[in-house]
Amino acid sequence: MNGPMRVLVLGGTGYIGTRLCERLAATSWATPDCASSRHVVGNGVRVDTTDLASLVYALHGVDAVVNCVAGNRRAIAEGAKALVLACIETGCPRIVHLSSMSVYGPREGAVRDDAATDPSLGWYARAKCEAEHCMTAFARAGGTAIVLRPGCVWGPGSQLWVGRIARYLNAHRLGDLGAAGDGWSNLVHVDNVCDAIEAALQLPESPGRVRAYNLAAPDSPRWNEYFVDLALAIGATPVRRISQLQLRLDAWLGGPPLKVAQTAFAKLGRRPARVPDPLPPNLVGLWERHLRLESPGAERDLGVRWTPYGTGLTQSAQWVREGAIHA
Amino acid sequence: MISHADTIAMNACLWADVCIVGGGAAGISLALSLSGQGLKIVVLESGEMREHAATQALYAGEVADEKLHSPPDKYRQRRLGGSTAIWGGRCVPFDPIDFEKRAWLSNSGWPISYEDLLPFYPQANTLSEAGRFSYDANEALGADAPPMFRGFDSDVVRTDSLERFSCPTNFGTRYARRLKVAPDIHVLLGANCTDIGLEARTRAVDELEVKTLAGRRFRVAVRAAVLATGGLETARLLLASRSGAPAGIGNEHDVVGRYYMCHIAGNVGTLVVRGAPADVRHGYEITPEGIYARRRLGIAPQAQREHGLTNAVARLHFPRITDPRHRNGVLSGLFLARRFISYEYAKRLNDGAAPTAPVYARHLLNVVSDPIDTSAFLAHWLARRTLAQRKFPSVILRNRSNRFSLEMHAEQIPSAASHVALTDRMDPLGMPQLRVDWRYSQADINAVRRMLDVMAAEFERSGVAQLDYDRDTLEDDLMRFGAYGGHHIGTARMGDDPRTSVVDADCRVHSLRNLYVAGSAVFPTSSQANPTLTLVALSLRLGRHLAKTLGRERAPQTVQAIAAPAEVQDERMAA
Repeated sequence: MNGPMRVLVLGGTGYIGTRLCERLAATSWATPDCASSRHVVGNGVRVDTTDLASLVYALHGVDAVVNCVAGNRRAIAEGAKALVLACIETGCPRIVHLSSMSVYGPREGAVRDDAATDPSLGWYARAKCEAEHCMTAFARAGGTAIVLRPGCVWGPGSQLWVGRIARYLNAHRLGDLGAAGDGWSNLVHVDNVCDAIEAALQLPESPGRVRAYNLAAPDSPRWNEYFVDLALAIGATPVRRISQLQLRLDAWLGGPPLKVAQTAFAKLGRRPARVPDPLPPNLVGLWERHLRLESPGAERDLGVRWTPYGTGLTQSAQWVREGAIHA
Repeated sequence: MISHADTIAMNACLWADVCIVGGGAAGISLALSLSGQGLKIVVLESGEMREHAATQALYAGEVADEKLHSPPDKYRQRRLGGSTAIWGGRCVPFDPIDFEKRAWLSNSGWPISYEDLLPFYPQANTLSEAGRFSYDANEALGADAPPMFRGFDSDVVRTDSLERFSCPTNFGTRYARRLKVAPDIHVLLGANCTDIGLEARTRAVDELEVKTLAGRRFRVAVRAAVLATGGLETARLLLASRSGAPAGIGNEHDVVGRYYMCHIAGNVGTLVVRGAPADVRHGYEITPEGIYARRRLGIAPQAQREHGLTNAVARLHFPRITDPRHRNGVLSGLFLARRFISYEYAKRLNDGAAPTAPVYARHLLNVVSDPIDTSAFLAHWLARRTLAQRKFPSVILRNRSNRFSLEMHAEQIPSAASHVALTDRMDPLGMPQLRVDWRYSQADINAVRRMLDVMAAEFERSGVAQLDYDRDTLEDDLMRFGAYGGHHIGTARMGDDPRTSVVDADCRVHSLRNLYVAGSAVFPTSSQANPTLTLVALSLRLGRHLAKTLGRERAPQTVQAIAAPAEVQDERMAA
């Protein structure tokens, strides 16, 4: 390879993708192509990630792909399939694929990188498992595939795990959940995810097998602790004790109409922030689930040095206080 | 994993690095703290997930004087979570002075200091769901929080110490899932430890005998055993384990069961605060983490030394509920509803003499003539207590008159004469029942009297309030309901000298290499504080000690020898 590694970042306008592209652009060894199916920012490219031809076009001259695509089942599973076919066709030798801890199914307790996958936890888990199978096929075809399974990716700018949570806390829809919030948060700072991706791009080639790595900071707390810490840090006090009944009613009764309203507002071109966030039922399940991701491989092979929980909390709370959570 | 002891094969021998007897606040905290450290932990819990009458009846026993102490099956729950199923949730740490040898209090002094326990209090607070480990009002509520009495400033009488309240958290239901998920913890329900087997040569416990009410028997071979069965049951099990020690285990010097303490508690005196009622904070505040917290009156350590006091606190309280002259509809409503309230919470609504018809009538009149306050109280109680997960801790009345009684909660001077012992009557498992002979002394009463005098002088000096109490009725006022229920302390006390204590600074029974006690049984003194938070902290400290000790040791030869015979069924936990 002559010159910097050319890296196509699919899902490049998402939370992780944006941060990754900024970081890769600042390196001397990589040049990112920030690709998105929605819109194009700066020097980015527009790619329909489920369309083989579109991918083949975008992959010409690319040395590696980072797949950060989020979205529905089609975007995740069929997108991964199209990506693998396109890489084989264009001879792109390496894919770093962002998967999820949901591939472990409803399992609880400590889970290491080599645990068996289980697609039984809904459409998202099924799609993520299907995408991982595509990566296995890519490796068997001679490619180098590295699968990263992050927990909940947080840090300043994270709408999912900071902004949304802060809004729930400010509305006193979330707080100390007791046993319903006793699950492990498996938080991982976005910078650590980018660290892992950068290291994965530079790992020696390993055709024939997929290497999978969990990504969760070992000091990430249980959900209750995170909720209370964040609430105190952003001034959403006094923190409420939320009963399981209230949580379930919020998710099952409040969730659907709020989702409809949010979609309607978006279609009308109004800011969806005017509508309270729906509470997806799967979140309720996640918060009470005692799954603890262990990430020894990320430390050993990828050299990840975890951002301390306290640092992530301070940064995230500052971002919230600066009023960016509705951005 | 949680399973039932009746599923274990008859006469099987299980194996554990640590076997914890008792799945209450101490046992659960200890088990969770030991998890993930390469040890196999078995928890023997006598009860089920819920109350089970036949199991609860195993607590039955005698008391020397029912006016002084509740029957042994009250204020205790024999089920997973133990008595946290019914506790009030008050969390307060011990004070540094509690650990000191105080020359004016016989038998005082711990072999550890406050600083030794301090690192474990924050986690104990978390497990108890009482928020941050912050018990100074200025720190916890912020410097702008209103004081207890506006204008009162004293170096002697402290008003800035807080008590915090747990939900109150039932450790059994709250942590059941953690226990189930942990691959190294096996909780056995319905498992009653009935004997502690000793290996004479090594001065060690080699196995525990377990029986179920359905007739199942098995053993657990251990590297270490921990008794976490509460202040009464720990003494009972030690004294009843006579197969290897005729006087009972750890009882070579007749200390097991002695120095039994509760708290000296009662409503006394009248405090009249000058100024506006709005300048007095007598109820609950809410901390930023959403925890109910309340200021109390206490005496600064230097003043305790100067005046030879026991450690005690006083809360601003309402008049005696049973006396209808208070003219308060809420209190009268509580009095009339006392038959619908559990024994433990209704006890202070029954003060001995049977109410007469005119007394009932006066109470009824109070309710009828105070409909607004009574209705507001009921609405608040329903919303904030009955239906809430974090429950409003107790009845607080609106302060209209600035007149309060003082609810005292005082430590008791340890005395060998106050004790529990075995009787000849057996429970269905063949365990001798317990007889409780709780005693207090005039010194206990006099210490409270001196405290009240110190407080009265300070209030007088400040000009903020006036405290009066009847010196002649003080003992009756403090003993009206006997010992404060549910605080069972000191029956296997901690100390350096085996002649006056049962366990050492690591909670290990002096005479044995691997038997430990977790819980308030080991407290040498009782403090002003309720025991739960400190017994959880002490259990976490024990957990660290056990993890360090057992992690360092290789599995002893004795365990391998036990596992070898053909009749031993190894039921090691599946991962």
